[in-house]
Amino acid sequence: MNSQTAQLLLNGLLETVYMTLVSTLIGYAIGLPVGILLTVTDKEGIRPNALVYRIVDVIINIMRSIPFLILLILLIPFTRFLVGKSYGTTATIVPLVVSAAPYIARMVESSLKEVDAGVIEAARSMGASNAAIVFRVLLVEAKTSLIVGATITLGTILGYSAMAGTVAGGGLGDIAIQYGYYRWKTDIMLITVALLVVLFQIFQMIGMKLASALDHRK
Amino acid sequence: MSEIEVRHLSKTFTQKDLKVDALSDINISIEKGDVYGIIGMSGAGKSTLVRCLNYLERPTDGQVIVSGQELGALSEQELRQARMKIAMIFQSFNLLQQKNAVDNISFPLRIQGMPKKEARVRAKELLKTVGLADKAKSYPSQLSGGQQQRVAIARALACDPNILLCDEATSALDPQTTDQILQLIREINESMGLTIVIITHQMAVIQKVCNRVAIIENGHLVEEGKVSDIFAHPRSRAAKELIMRDVHENFVIPETVDEITEGKKIRIVFTANSAFEPVVSNMILKFGQPVNILRANTRNVGGVAKGDMILQLPVDRETRLQMEDYLKERGLEVEEVNN
Repeated sequence: MNSQTAQLLLNGLLETVYMTLVSTLIGYAIGLPVGILLTVTDKEGIRPNALVYRIVDVIINIMRSIPFLILLILLIPFTRFLVGKSYGTTATIVPLVVSAAPYIARMVESSLKEVDAGVIEAARSMGASNAAIVFRVLLVEAKTSLIVGATITLGTILGYSAMAGTVAGGGLGDIAIQYGYYRWKTDIMLITVALLVVLFQIFQMIGMKLASALDHRK
Repeated sequence: MSEIEVRHLSKTFTQKDLKVDALSDINISIEKGDVYGIIGMSGAGKSTLVRCLNYLERPTDGQVIVSGQELGALSEQELRQARMKIAMIFQSFNLLQQKNAVDNISFPLRIQGMPKKEARVRAKELLKTVGLADKAKSYPSQLSGGQQQRVAIARALACDPNILLCDEATSALDPQTTDQILQLIREINESMGLTIVIITHQMAVIQKVCNRVAIIENGHLVEEGKVSDIFAHPRSRAAKELIMRDVHENFVIPETVDEITEGKKIRIVFTANSAFEPVVSNMILKFGQPVNILRANTRNVGGVAKGDMILQLPVDRETRLQMEDYLKERGLEVEEVNN
């Protein structure tokens, strides 16, 4: 393998890391508040609101039911409007976020709903406001579960980012398709797969270590 | 004005088309400094009642007046302020699992906006009060049930409440730990003058710490008064049942006793004064008739030693009545027991 190929792969790796992390971050900026909204407005929540819950619930379900590959193409005009072009790593972040945000909202919702109702009741009995319950009880108590959720999300987005290679999305997926598929370069194909596997393992390990280090339930 | 005044309180739960009356027309007055027990079987509505006292449950009808404030008339904001003075502890302790003891106790102070440092100083003082000074950094999962409840009590005391509500606070604890926690609650009542409301299904808990008790059955208040009076003369069926059933919860009058022996069962209650004389032995000697002692026990009711016994008297009606008179003459409370 010459240095040119090595450079190509390194760039691909960095692009993948960039896309995955930035998409997850923006995804959480949207998905976390929405997940909180779902938990709070649920009929068992601290401020039930059937209408709000239903609307958000339906929107999330619709967004989650569109396969990523279709979403990728469907969003091209929107991406072009937002980023100025529809290819490359930054452009890929748009469909990744659109796909990740509702997924994250669901993950957050399920994590927050695990919080013991008794602890929430205790906080209410102490005169805690709903905001205090969200920020000082729900998010704190669900910390471990939220981190595990984020780890799973990161892995999923990593996989999706590779799929964006089909539309010249950049990153390792793009290289795998350009070289491995169109040019029959099996060696490059295999290296990209290996790099993706290693990357996935690293994300997974950091996430789980962090979750367990911050968990005081045992 | 009483510290807690409950007037014509009713609570109905509506689930789809089904209406369930959890509480109907409850009237209670709890005076400042009382240790007030609310007892009932599970499902009687006592947990709902205690949640109406801090408006965690909104009553369907009626009023709850705490320290002169009618809770139903308060805005959401005012209600939260009021709740800070009505502390509550729970059966399952309900501590934040991801926070250590000090931070759990700091929690109510922090949500009031007290700076972290200041809150921690106060929390550490409170830990000392409940006898856990060395557990400041421990997480709930590292503490025993009794220790967790102590942390919960410290947390409840953090905002200098006027009232402490205890919802089955000792039901998850073993008898020895229960006694220690009840002792602590009593000390708090005496040293801080806190009004305490204790919800329980165990008569023993009521006897150990309460001065007054209300008995709830199927959402109705069936009996209310001083613990010593109700213990000596339970009028309602529910009260009798709770007194009989309790103390040694595992003590059951064997059914075979009923089959073998006929005759009437009575329950006698004697105080320290009458306990000196061997009344029962003397009675047997006097009448020359056998008397079966089915159960006997001495317990501490509000600081006074009280004994109670269940006796099976002879079948003969004449002798039986004479025996009952004999016991009454000696200052004992006599009461018939029917199964």
